[in-house]
Amino acid sequence: MATLLSDRATPAHQEHPENTPPPPPRKTGSTARIGATGKVRSVGIVLVWILAAFNVGTLLWVLLTSLRTHRAIFETPWGLPIPPAFENFATALFEGEFGIAAFNTALMTVGGSITLMLLAAPAAYVLARSTRKVSGTIFALFAIGIGVPVQVIIIPLYVMLEQLHLINSLWGLFLALLGANIPFTVILLTGFMRSLPNDLEEAAALDGSSSLRTFWQIMMPLARSGIITLLTLNAINIWNETFLALVLIQDTDKQVLPVALLNFIARQQTNGADYGGLFAGVLVLVLPMILLYIWLGRRIIEGMTLGASK
Amino acid sequence: MALATRAAEHPVRPARHGAAPPRAGRSESPMEKRRRRIFWPLLIPAQLANGILFLGPALASFVISFMRWDGMGEPDMVGFENYSRLLGDSVFHQAFANTLIILLVGGIAVFAVAFGLTMVLREMRGRKFIRNVVFFPVIISPVVLSILWGFIFQSNGLLESAFRGVGIPEGPNWLGDHLFLIIVVGLIWINLGLYVTILMAAVDQIPIYLYEECALAGATAWQRFRYVTLPLTWDVVTAAAVLWTIGSLKIFEFIYAFGGTSADMPPTNVWNSALFIYGKTFGGRTPAFEFGYASAAAVVTVLAVMVFVFALQRATRREPIEY
Repeated sequence: MATLLSDRATPAHQEHPENTPPPPPRKTGSTARIGATGKVRSVGIVLVWILAAFNVGTLLWVLLTSLRTHRAIFETPWGLPIPPAFENFATALFEGEFGIAAFNTALMTVGGSITLMLLAAPAAYVLARSTRKVSGTIFALFAIGIGVPVQVIIIPLYVMLEQLHLINSLWGLFLALLGANIPFTVILLTGFMRSLPNDLEEAAALDGSSSLRTFWQIMMPLARSGIITLLTLNAINIWNETFLALVLIQDTDKQVLPVALLNFIARQQTNGADYGGLFAGVLVLVLPMILLYIWLGRRIIEGMTLGASK
Repeated sequence: MALATRAAEHPVRPARHGAAPPRAGRSESPMEKRRRRIFWPLLIPAQLANGILFLGPALASFVISFMRWDGMGEPDMVGFENYSRLLGDSVFHQAFANTLIILLVGGIAVFAVAFGLTMVLREMRGRKFIRNVVFFPVIISPVVLSILWGFIFQSNGLLESAFRGVGIPEGPNWLGDHLFLIIVVGLIWINLGLYVTILMAAVDQIPIYLYEECALAGATAWQRFRYVTLPLTWDVVTAAAVLWTIGSLKIFEFIYAFGGTSADMPPTNVWNSALFIYGKTFGGRTPAFEFGYASAAAVVTVLAVMVFVFALQRATRREPIEY
């Protein structure tokens, strides 16, 4: 996977592998400066650390604030959770219906990302390996989907799902999520599979392995790294997806987390504000992503930057 | 879109062994024969999902843009009426302008700051850590980021109480008077990490000896950037620019959550095209369900941005530099 990014960072690099120098060693003490020097550099370094501190600080602030009572937050947003108000999480999970929403979101995330992979991996394999003319056209049909925002397809999608009685249904949301994410999944996986060597498959074919078996037993293990990356990226996309759920789901017991959060804020306008419960809800939505990021961070970063560096 | 055009340039991978593409009458390797047999069976499920759930609706949007329809009754074909209505709709003008401001002003700012950070980060201790920290908003729900960003600037929020703490009594009414500015700065903050990472990966590929030569020649920091860094990362920068363009069209939640609740839209002067589409169909306390009109807005926006991407690619095309 490490090669996934570095091999493709520049097209010139990719087209002439024999000319490429090894990755530049980072010489310490070299006179060669790449970026700014002197004062500009010092100012830059200070700004970079301020930005980093801001991001870490925001996260810590959410963590601390989710354990403070509404009254304490309202008096001053700066403060420590002494004593910690764990009842915020009870409020969020039960009154705010974040519990059921978290379950729905997890269901969509796991079901959606696995189904997307089951659909996309076989297609990506034939698109990556086929030499037929039609495969270029089909690839382009998937590629269109990357450039078209989901707001453009939502109206016909809504009408279609309504006729199937799938509005306000998790099945309807599931189908919409598949449609919204299939182009991106197929395109990135095709790109990844193209970069894999052909030799093993040829050897398998010579040994009389059927194509399906070659796909399943040779290609899938070879492409494991790309598959895990795309499973992760789709999981992140679906976990955070708001727009489709906002349009397609109305009942609170079928809602997903980001919309439950918006609903919680809406209810505060009539029931009185509860910042403690709000930030507990924020944490329910954010924490799984943070943990995933700590676990698979390098893979996520490489996968997301792949689109541009290809 | 970058992917699309690149795919069009190299639609199929050249066959191995110098074999001609399989055609009737030509001999093909046993492996290719076998692959032909699984071509459609493996492709069709994904193809159906794409066709029914994405391409079909995208085409239908185009057709609906010529109708007056609330999604329930019979649609009326009205020709270009929706489009001419857009021409006179100041709310749409504002939304379209905001989309372009996010695309251009936001984009230039993101790339300038990202390049600046990359230049500083390349020779800095803790660069991996910083990169990971700057990147993390990219994977956080935009709704959450929007709530946090709002909490900083709202009255009695983090900024105001910090100001009060150091003795500055009253700041401006940020969310009331400068909401769109706050939104654009927020969008730069949450997207920065992605572009820093992309540029860092590209800059890391530049061999160090080029900079050593710069040092010998006595080049300034700006000259190093202008004559080494920028030309050698140009392909990545243009691809990233297309990525930003596409991404900026999809921005919705971050702005929407500034409406404060699940039912209320934010004020129309901060709408972008995505919010306009939502606001004219499903959004607000009494949804308008103007499916035809919203579809026309979608078509106009996508076409305008497609033209922009095409122009961007034409304008930035260069011979690849080999090094």
